[in-house]
Amino acid sequence: MGDMFRCKDSIHRLLEFLDGDLSPEEHAQLEEHLKWCPPCMEFLRSYKATPGMCRKALAAKMPEELANKLSEFLRNRIRKA
Amino acid sequence: MPPDASQEQQAQEDRDLLARAQAGDISAFEALVERHRDHVFGLAMRMTRSEADAAEITQDTFLSAYQHLGTFRGDAAFGSWVYRIAANNALMRMRRQRVKSAAEQELSGPDFNERGALIDQPSPEWARAGEDQLIDAELGQAIRQATEKLPDAYREVFLLKDVDGLSYEEIAEITGDSVPAIKSRLHRARLALREAIDAFYREKS
Repeated sequence: MGDMFRCKDSIHRLLEFLDGDLSPEEHAQLEEHLKWCPPCMEFLRSYKATPGMCRKALAAKMPEELANKLSEFLRNRIRKA
Repeated sequence: MPPDASQEQQAQEDRDLLARAQAGDISAFEALVERHRDHVFGLAMRMTRSEADAAEITQDTFLSAYQHLGTFRGDAAFGSWVYRIAANNALMRMRRQRVKSAAEQELSGPDFNERGALIDQPSPEWARAGEDQLIDAELGQAIRQATEKLPDAYREVFLLKDVDGLSYEEIAEITGDSVPAIKSRLHRARLALREAIDAFYREKS
């Protein structure tokens, strides 16, 4: 077994860890570190939550006026085709 | 994660509409546009940060989709297909308009001591709620500002992957970058945004 992971080593690999792309050895080392490091466990939770929270905050709906213009644009161009 | 029943139903409805559109039913194509325009507009808006540009990209995207309906084999979902067209259009527009900056600004991230141990403990309030965390107006604003501050190459990858759900391979094809480079940028973007959200909660408490 290699050297134990530090916080820095673990956080550096979080994306691959969540994607399931770490080697079995690195996966085990990271999980071992998380078991004994509450700050890194909290960090992982916040890292996991970030994309979903950003998705909610960044959701955009096309304004009705623009949606109507889009329909008109497509109708004109399609019927010309 | 297997798609739930409503996603499966939506996918089937899209396939039915697509078949009718490919057979010449214009109203079926219009229905597909209505079902996907918010997502396409949202993608373009987030990338370009301009309502006018986003509206044009949305028009170009659906026009292109209509013009290529005959050649679309349906091996991907219609939604995925138009999102890729939109992402391509948005990226091309942004790169034409972009003024190259001399150096990318430093991205924020966690601090470690000389032994590699995490220095700042994340504020647990928001992490434990996870994705169920409610996004109020203030937090929403903080997230939007933090996303805007990301250097373009990092923001693009974050938006395309984490917000718009494109795969690494799709993003690589659109951007011309390698998958490892994309993953590296995505990770650093997530760290910076995580930091911004954490700073928001620390300031509140």
